[in-house]
Amino acid sequence: MPFLAVGSYRIRYELEGPDDRPAYVLVNGLTQYAELWAGYRTALVARGFRVATFDMLGQGESDKPGLFITQDDQVTALGLLIDQLGKGPVFLGGISFGGLIALRYAIAHPGRLAGLVVMSAFAEMSPQLLLIGNALRTALILGGVSYLQDLLLPMNVSDAWLKPLLGNLEAVKRQGWLTNDVYALQNLMESFLDFKPLTPQLASIGVPTLILNGEFDFLTPRSLHETLRLHIPDSALVIIPRAYHAFTLEKPALTADLLANFAENVLAGKWRGEKSVWIAPEEAGGALFPFPPDQDHLRAIPRTTVPT
Amino acid sequence: MNAFLGPLDSIGRVPPRQQTRVAAFLISAHGALARQLVFALPQQMKAGWQTELNAQFYRESEIVSLLLRTTSWVVDPELLMLAASWEAAWLPKPVNGPSDRLLASTIDLAALGHAVHGAIRPAALLPDKALAEDPFVMALRRIEFESGRMIQAQILFLKGQDLLPHRDAVNTAVGERHRQVRALWDTMLRGVGVERETAG
Repeated sequence: MPFLAVGSYRIRYELEGPDDRPAYVLVNGLTQYAELWAGYRTALVARGFRVATFDMLGQGESDKPGLFITQDDQVTALGLLIDQLGKGPVFLGGISFGGLIALRYAIAHPGRLAGLVVMSAFAEMSPQLLLIGNALRTALILGGVSYLQDLLLPMNVSDAWLKPLLGNLEAVKRQGWLTNDVYALQNLMESFLDFKPLTPQLASIGVPTLILNGEFDFLTPRSLHETLRLHIPDSALVIIPRAYHAFTLEKPALTADLLANFAENVLAGKWRGEKSVWIAPEEAGGALFPFPPDQDHLRAIPRTTVPT
Repeated sequence: MNAFLGPLDSIGRVPPRQQTRVAAFLISAHGALARQLVFALPQQMKAGWQTELNAQFYRESEIVSLLLRTTSWVVDPELLMLAASWEAAWLPKPVNGPSDRLLASTIDLAALGHAVHGAIRPAALLPDKALAEDPFVMALRRIEFESGRMIQAQILFLKGQDLLPHRDAVNTAVGERHRQVRALWDTMLRGVGVERETAG
């Protein structure tokens, strides 16, 4: 199991695929761990990529600092991992908390990435997100990791995914419960205490950027992704049908396909972001289709937009 | 070596020798915290977080009492030596940095509490087939759950504004206590055939 030294701490990472291939680096969500990307490693390596996954500080098999972890520390660790990948093209993808760290990296290292994928992410703490985050932190403090999982599961995935697992939820939660320590998760959550919006810096992200948002994500809803789309110059927003916040877990084949297609288009010079809005296919292998230009993608109720 | 306690008996109970070692370690650690809290608790509280210490004192004592009554004890001669080494490890080690000796000792106590409540997860040792209604199993789950609550007093104090000027000393103290507690816990577990995956 390889580890990377970040100051006095160790980051556990995994590299798969030939080292002469374009690289994909995938960044976990808050309560996740690197093994959750196993299916992506297989799928992306099969598409000709080298894939790097890792546990952030405070997560999984990486060191868990006792008291303080800043988001800058996470960006530093991510940077060291990317430095391991040589000079070739690097695509960076992150979900939720990992999406935020990916955004921070892209802002801090404007020339290093070939492309960026932000999934279920945000650059601002809306009042709803702030209050949900505070409530989740209280839940962790009062009820532990298991109670936090109980709250996150129904927010993160669909009824269709949950229904067959309802009788076996403890087994679904067990690995995450074993992996996550209360104090370490709390440190990750408390790295938001001094959060400043990234929106003013989004314009400096010059690389092609794919923004993925679940159709029914109410933890980080469309409006938060819209901020990313409007401020990142070469971006496109793709809405994943019937998906919630954690669509990387629920729809891995589709998401891996979208990631691979994006990178292939960028490498082939075919990518056109243009702040466009698209709808993803229901299954892997299908084509994106444009969001109807006369409809408002921020609304659930069909509503014709007024051209400006 | 196994990642979890066991093998369990036919109805899902943890072997008595493992119960004895694990319980002895936890009684030693939580008992030491309870004893040190007696001396650290001020007669007149000056800060809000100190109210948590009062609750913690009683919870640490409850953990000791609970384990004494839920463990299937067996004779374990090695415990004499082991317990002595554990007790020596919990002795106060005032941190370097603050000139105020009382503050230096309190930081150490909080660092030890943070490590005992944060680094030791007894319920995570239970295989998923462990008998949920077994008193020892329930005790381990309760201790882990309560540890998640009790660590809050340490977090509030150690991350508090009052200790900002001593942040490096605090960080070092917490890191050292974590390493110490993890090493002792892992060594004890290896003695009963359990090899925990190490995360720092």
